[in-house]
Amino acid sequence: MAILVIEHVSKFFGGLAANSDVSFSMEEGSIMGLIGPNGAGKTTLFNCITGYYPPSKGVIWFEGRKMNGLQPDKVCKLGMARTWQKVRPLAKMTVLDNVVVGALARTNSLRVAREMAMAQLEVVRLHGKAGFLAGGLPIGERKKLEVARVLATGPKLLLLDEVMGGLNPAESEEIIQLILDIRTRGLTQMVIEHDMKAIMRISDRIVVLNSGEKLAEGSPDEVVNNQDVVDAYLGESHAED
Amino acid sequence: MTFSPSTRTGLSAGAALLLLAALAIVPRFVQSPYALHVLILIFLSTIMGQAWNILGGYTGQYSVGHAAYFGVGAYVTVSLMLHRQIAPWVGMWAGAAAVVVVALVIGSICFRLRGPYFVLASIAVTEIMRLVATNLKDLTNGAEGILATEIPPLKFGATVITDFGSKVPFYYIGLGLAVLTILVTWAVTHSKLGYCFQAIREDQDAAHSLGINPTLYKNIALAISAVLTSFAGAFYAIYVGFVDPPTVLGLDLSVQIVLICIIGGIGTIQGPMVGACILVPLSEILRSNAVPELLMKWGWMNGESGIGLFLKENLAHAHVLIYGILVVLVILYMPEGLVGFLRRVTRGRRAA
Amino acid sequence: MDVFLQSLISGILLGGVYALIGTGLTLIFGVMRVINFAHGDIQMVGMYLTYLLFVHAGIDPFVSVLITFPLMFLFGGLIQKVFINRVLDALPQNQILLTIGLGLIMSNTAMLIFTSDYKILTTSYSSGSVKLGGISISQPMTISFLITVAVTAALWWFLKKTDTGQAIRATAQDRDAAQLMGINVKRMSIIAFGLGSSLVATAGALIAPTYYIYPQVGAAFTLKAFVITVLGGMGSIVGAALGGIIIGISESMGAAYIGAGWKDVVVFALFLLVLLLKPSGLMGKSNA
Repeated sequence: MAILVIEHVSKFFGGLAANSDVSFSMEEGSIMGLIGPNGAGKTTLFNCITGYYPPSKGVIWFEGRKMNGLQPDKVCKLGMARTWQKVRPLAKMTVLDNVVVGALARTNSLRVAREMAMAQLEVVRLHGKAGFLAGGLPIGERKKLEVARVLATGPKLLLLDEVMGGLNPAESEEIIQLILDIRTRGLTQMVIEHDMKAIMRISDRIVVLNSGEKLAEGSPDEVVNNQDVVDAYLGESHAED
Repeated sequence: MTFSPSTRTGLSAGAALLLLAALAIVPRFVQSPYALHVLILIFLSTIMGQAWNILGGYTGQYSVGHAAYFGVGAYVTVSLMLHRQIAPWVGMWAGAAAVVVVALVIGSICFRLRGPYFVLASIAVTEIMRLVATNLKDLTNGAEGILATEIPPLKFGATVITDFGSKVPFYYIGLGLAVLTILVTWAVTHSKLGYCFQAIREDQDAAHSLGINPTLYKNIALAISAVLTSFAGAFYAIYVGFVDPPTVLGLDLSVQIVLICIIGGIGTIQGPMVGACILVPLSEILRSNAVPELLMKWGWMNGESGIGLFLKENLAHAHVLIYGILVVLVILYMPEGLVGFLRRVTRGRRAA
Repeated sequence: MDVFLQSLISGILLGGVYALIGTGLTLIFGVMRVINFAHGDIQMVGMYLTYLLFVHAGIDPFVSVLITFPLMFLFGGLIQKVFINRVLDALPQNQILLTIGLGLIMSNTAMLIFTSDYKILTTSYSSGSVKLGGISISQPMTISFLITVAVTAALWWFLKKTDTGQAIRATAQDRDAAQLMGINVKRMSIIAFGLGSSLVATAGALIAPTYYIYPQVGAAFTLKAFVITVLGGMGSIVGAALGGIIIGISESMGAAYIGAGWKDVVVFALFLLVLLLKPSGLMGKSNA
């Protein structure tokens, strides 16, 4: 069953189209890679899906429910949670309290929220730093904290915006394992990533955006062999290598 | 020596109870009305600072318009007492109800704005209220203000508990309100509310994405903060017995409320108490002309000299100067306030 | 109709002074992104300076601008160098509080020196006016308006035509880029704060013959300065000039048609409307 359906979504800023007529759908439990060059409109699409911008045109369906116009907090409570490309730790709160804030989307009891938070910290292996201030963590651990925090909100669909950006290979590998681990628990994930090797490994399907439009969609193999994609995006990045 | 968090909580709760017990018996030993007066002002400042702390310190919304809630609390309580013979301890709840309405209106205007624009809007709204209070002479007696010295005796059944003949009943009311404010703050920070407030302070967009409705929680923080501030206003009004627009609705008061918190340390329970304990005595010392008198007594200054006469004459009027100097020093050298500064120092020492 | 014309003209004349106050604040904000809550207090210092020069040296307030302007430039530059400079990277709230503290120090020091008595600076022309048809035009307000126009024109020339002026504008546009281009950003900040202080102090000097002078006079003007600059768009000099005139006119119209006690309510209500509907101001870039 499709958990998320994007129908002809466009987003205009002034006269500029950041997304134009994007359509695709996601199967429950799958991982979708969202790729495209810088400025292709990936983060804008995330913002439209999670309620930060209302789409200018088109409809976003989540579990059969129309999401247009819902505020981010409502979107989160319905089961869609996102991380931020530029991490946003609640700097003067502890690592544990950051995750507790996420868990409070599901419970009003602080005691229950703390237990849920601690469990998620163990998932990302940050439980040893529960009492540290979030603002003092190195970048690799901040990215993990972002993931633990959204996991604590009890989502069905996770939208991960470049969770491997700025990480070294070992840290990236940890995140890859984490994403695969999350899939085994039945969660659906949409992943924006620049690391092509990683995205090919983890994605069931890939959507390629270019200048705000959907350029291609398919399995990793199909996308790699798609001539349009090679011309517009992969060719360019391969040429740089 | 290190303590586990729960032991530390136990220790500070014990220390707080000891302090409270000590404060409760002070009037038995201290007869001087002036000393009691200073303590009452410290309680009042603690209430104001702690109330602001909930919105400004924990939720990160720097309102420089808290005089609005102080003033409405003061005016409603005094007006009800004078015109409807409603006792202030009943009237203050009417004041609180009125303040919630005012706070929600102000919130719906100001919370659309962030950062410095929020600060400016909070000032503008409060200035409008001060001007309206000055102009609506029928309701507020305008710039002349309202004198309210006749307080009905507090009775329990037929027994008169107090007739407000001395400062002692005010001392206990002030202490009680201060304790109430501190307990409310403690309860808020140890609940879901406190987490939501702090998440909004740290990063409103991130909080929003984690299922927190920022508008809702900012308004809740404002409502709690405004109600506690209105209690301070009501208490001030019956204690001083006089309200007029510049003193209870003025920008000076709004600024003073923020400074209590800033100097002590925002976002901490101890901050407003520390701030009040520093600011009130300092400004009282200046106001009472103790400095020139001491300087003369120690023979450092001749009372008949030009400077001596000048200081004797004018220093008392400039007691707010100390607020200015303190806030500049705190922002430049200890932006986390005294409490934050001391914590950093002691933590540094423990680590070393 | 006479009432209308009379209010319009008084409003424009008053607006000239407001424009100067707003221009000073917006210049400081543009270059440093600091909202100066001590702005009105700096104006107060300018007013007392004008008063002292008049009473002790017999210098006409309008002439004393020539002394007040450079002196207050030094004063402002010093404040920037010693205090403001240290909080340029701090939270906006802390910057605001620092300037509030500086303002308190200024107004209370003035209270120590001059007591809280109202001082009045009476010149031969303080209450002089010229009748034009049915309308009376205040003589000192007209002179001050002309000086305002001259100062604004000079500022405009300075910012557009001189190297320093262009460096200041570049800093206001993008501080980091300006730094990379080799502009001494720190120096530009000192100049901007100095100039901003000079401008607002000049406004103080210009209204000194027609206004009471007392230590707390600044607070009202600080608030007005915010209204003017937000109305025009924070950081926009043209906007501040325009905002000043608009506020001048709203005030005198409000006083004429609603009542003197309510004129400031009109101004603040206007302010809130602008904040809510177009927070970037009349001349600011829309960020919606």
